[in-house]
Order: sequence, then structure tokens, then C-alpha cells
Amino acid sequence: MSGRPDLPAPPTFAAGAVRVFSLSLGEMLWSRRTVFLLLVTGAPVFLALVARIVQGSGVVPLRVNGAAVDGGAIFGMMIWIFFLRFIVPVLGVFYGTSLIADEVEDRTITYLFTRPIRRGAVLVGKYLAYVVCTTLVVLPSVVLVYFLLVPLGQVARTFTAFAADLGLLALGLAAYGALFALVGAALKRPLVSGLLFVFGWEQIALLVPGYAKRFTVAHYVQGLVPHAMPSDGVVQVLQSVLRDNPPAWACVLALAGVVAVSLWLGVRAVESREYVLDQ
Amino acid sequence: MSIIASEHLSKWYGQVSGLNDVTVQVPAGITGLLGPNGAGKSTFMKLITGQLRPSKGHVRVLGEPIWGNPALFQRIGFCPEQDAFYDSMTGRQWVSALAGLHGFDEATAADAAARAIEAVELTEAADRKIGSYSKGMRQRIKLAQAIAHQPELLILDEPLSGMDPLMRRRTVKQIKEWGRAGTSVLVSSHILHEIESMTSNIVLINNGRIVAEGDVHHIRDLIDEHPHTVSIRTTQAHAVARELLADEGVVSVRFDPGGLVVETARPDAFYARVTDLAASGRFGPIHEITSPDDNLQAVFRYLVKA
Repeated sequence: MSGRPDLPAPPTFAAGAVRVFSLSLGEMLWSRRTVFLLLVTGAPVFLALVARIVQGSGVVPLRVNGAAVDGGAIFGMMIWIFFLRFIVPVLGVFYGTSLIADEVEDRTITYLFTRPIRRGAVLVGKYLAYVVCTTLVVLPSVVLVYFLLVPLGQVARTFTAFAADLGLLALGLAAYGALFALVGAALKRPLVSGLLFVFGWEQIALLVPGYAKRFTVAHYVQGLVPHAMPSDGVVQVLQSVLRDNPPAWACVLALAGVVAVSLWLGVRAVESREYVLDQ
Repeated sequence: MSIIASEHLSKWYGQVSGLNDVTVQVPAGITGLLGPNGAGKSTFMKLITGQLRPSKGHVRVLGEPIWGNPALFQRIGFCPEQDAFYDSMTGRQWVSALAGLHGFDEATAADAAARAIEAVELTEAADRKIGSYSKGMRQRIKLAQAIAHQPELLILDEPLSGMDPLMRRRTVKQIKEWGRAGTSVLVSSHILHEIESMTSNIVLINNGRIVAEGDVHHIRDLIDEHPHTVSIRTTQAHAVARELLADEGVVSVRFDPGGLVVETARPDAFYARVTDLAASGRFGPIHEITSPDDNLQAVFRYLVKA
């Protein structure tokens, strides 16, 4: 190749991560997994719409356990039942574990790992794309649910709690995503391990009195929720009884710690593993 | 100076040996890495592109260790064997995005991508999604991403696989031009004639060991002693067969779904003849010619015995 150009210096870690972010975001937004994401986040919107229609008709007042409830209370329940217990951890597992695993499975990882950027930057760039992609879909869904359920007259009173909901959900997505990015970078069957963590370990740990719950992400995310925990099952009643509420600053710090430590370990894992052996 | 140097390089996959005590120096220029499937070519390629860590021994590329040294990829272009892409991107978007990972700004990456796509003659299809490309076009877009940043060393793993005869000829010509322009190229294949058409400097690998290296023209004679099987994918198999049977070197012809399989005692002349037939278009398109690696096995058995 004649006239070889003066090549720029290889990108720094941060610049490399930003380049991978740009490459991955579009791929992630238009992937089949996003259809799943839209379906999952569309379900509470649909239910909120139904509740709004029922509420608006005035024919049947909305009741929970026999007691009439207003839209704000239903919104709080939906944050717990749909978003905290299901959507946020499930998206964290499905997206986080796939950040590297999908590239390995599709055998496209070679194109990223034979570039002058650190492998860790690939993981971090893809993680950032995950955070943007999921928050771009989840938070608008929460906004729709809120405005469908909460009467305009109550917005001023509930807006601070609503903003806190948005923040904690974004933080939850970031924390679960980072943890499962680590799992995906380090383990061969990351999805199974991720599902076992969310629906096995976390559920059990939240039921056990003592320190076990501190080794879950859910404990810190739930510690930030401004709404009362619904008692919609035996497990939930027990979790509610055994729940201790760490201060909000401690929850934020713990979740930030989960993100930082998981990404650091993930970067170490991705830089030492021979992924082509998995292909 | 050698561009790739390995010393006692070994790679084990558990109990299985992928590469066994390989000491080799690949000089600047074009070098062919020739061996049947499972010979250790892919393992060697993965070791010299830093995708695998040596179990034992060392490998240096352009004078530096490659494992954990991503900065070196600023000087290396790699075209992997696997047919894997981001199918929803267009060829241009894909090559630009990968060029961007070398630190080019958006406009420079786009220019680099356009030049590379032009070099592999894909400009017309550059704005189509890769998912709609034929196998040969996919091979060419893979080559484009490898050359976009104009590397000093090109590592090409089976780059002609899936190309039609005319595109093969053009790609071979292009690789030779890159070599003449000062780019070192290591190209792997299981087809001697492909390699021979690019270079006489060959590294022969079999069972995870280097069997021979250097200017190995005499390998050709060995090949000629064994009938050579070539598979041709075409819609007009019978007409092509009639034409080829007139050739002196053709030993036998049988029909397969989608084409025919020919045994020839004069592979060089035969490949040239098929390419000319494809170029003439007299019998419709000849989509692909492939050569099973058992052609090489007899030669390797001979070399190992020797």
C-alpha cells in the first residue's frame, strides 16, 4: 500500500471506549433484543392505560385488597412490581451478560480485539451503550405510566418521588448491567448464572435476617424507593418484614461501588481471557 | 528482518495440541501459510494476532510481543476466516466504524473506508446492508476492513474462500500489488495453487508442526504427481463438463448437486482454463471453485516420511 498515511496515535482507553460505544449503540438499539425490551416495558404502559380508562369511566373504582387506591398509589406499586422486581434485573441480566458473549457467539469479537484499543475499552464502551439503550427505553415507559396514572393535580405533590424513581431505576440498570457484564466477561454460561443470581440468590438473601442481603443489588436499589413495598405474596410480606432501610446516600454509594468494582473486574477478565476458545 | 518470529511456540487446548514447538521466521514480503484443515493454520493465525496466548514459547510480530499489546494493531490488518459481520450495517458503515477504532476522526475514517472499498471493487454495493451480500462480496468487505488503515502487515486467513474465479484472480492481483507496494502479507490457504499464484515463499504446516518453509517450488512437482480434485459450482454443469473434458489433463468428471467435481493431473492449466471460461461467460456464471484439502494430504504424507 503506497503512500502509507501518518497514523494517529492509538486511542486512549477512554477514547477507545467512546468509539466502541458509538459502534455498539446503533447495533444494540436495532437488535432483536430491543424488541423484547419494548415488549417488556410496554406491558406496564398497557396496564396503566387500562387502569386510566377504568378510572376515567368512574364505573368501577380502583381497589387493591378491597381498599380504594388513587393513581399515585398504583404508580408506586407498578414501580415495585414491574420495574424493580422484574424489568430492571431482567434487562441487566439479558443485556449485561450478552455484551461480550454475543460478540463471541457471533464471532465478531475478532474485529474488535484486533484493533489498537484495549479489550477493556471494548467492554466499557459496550456497557455504556447498554446503559444508554436501556434507560432510553425504560425511563420513557416509566414517564408514560406516571402520566397515565397520576392525575395532573397530584403531579406537583408527587414529582420529587417520581424523579427519585427515575434516578433509582437508572442506577439500578447501571448496577445490574455492570455486575452482569462482569459475569458475561468471566463465565462461560453467564445467562444461567445471572438468572440464578436474580431469581435465586437475591430472593433468598432478602428473606434471610442479617447481612446476606447486603450482598445483593436489590437491597440497595429497594432502599431508594420512595413508595411503600406492596405485600402481594407470602415472599413479599416476609421480605417487607425483614427489610431494613439503609440511608439513601449509603445505597447510592453501594450501587456506585457495584458499578466501579464490577467494571474493573470485568476489564481484568476480558483482558486475560482467550475468547476464541469459546467459539 | 523477519516480520513474524516464533520460538518453540506451542498451544494446547486441554489435552489436545493445536501447535507443537514451532520455530519459524516469516520474512518481509508475501508469504503463504499452507496446510490442510486442522493442520494448525488457524491456531498459528490466532497466536500471531494476539487472540490466543502461547502455552509455551514466544511469538513476536513486527519485533514486538503481540499478546496484550493492542497498540501493535495500528500496524497490522487482519482478515479472519469466519463469515461473521454486523449484518444490519452497510459495508461502508462497517468499514468506517472499524477504521474509527484506529483513532481516525469520522471524516478520515470515512475516506479510508471509501478507498479500501474501492480497492476491493465493492463501491457499488458499499451502501447496501452486509446481510444482503453474496459470499464473495462478504469476503471482499472483510478484506476492506483489514486494509482501511493501510497497515504494514496484512494477515489474511483463507481470503479467497467463496470468491468466484474472476474475483479470485483480481484479489490475487491486488494482494501482489500490496506486496509490491511494500506491505508484508501472510496469507493462509489449503490450496497450493492459490498460494503459488501470489508467492513462492511458503510455510507448510501439518499436524501442528512446520513441515517445510522457504521457496518450495518442488512441492509443485509433488502435487502434479497426484490427481487434483476441483469442485465447480455452476448452473450449466453439463456444458462446462463437455468443455473441460476436451482438456488433456482432466482425468475424470462427476456431477454433484449445484455443479461438478473434476479430477485433473494438470491443476495449474486447469485453474487458468476455468477462470477463462468464467470470464468468457459462455456457460453462464461460474459461482465458485473449491479444492478439498485432501489434495494436500498425499504431499504432506510424502514430506513427513522424507
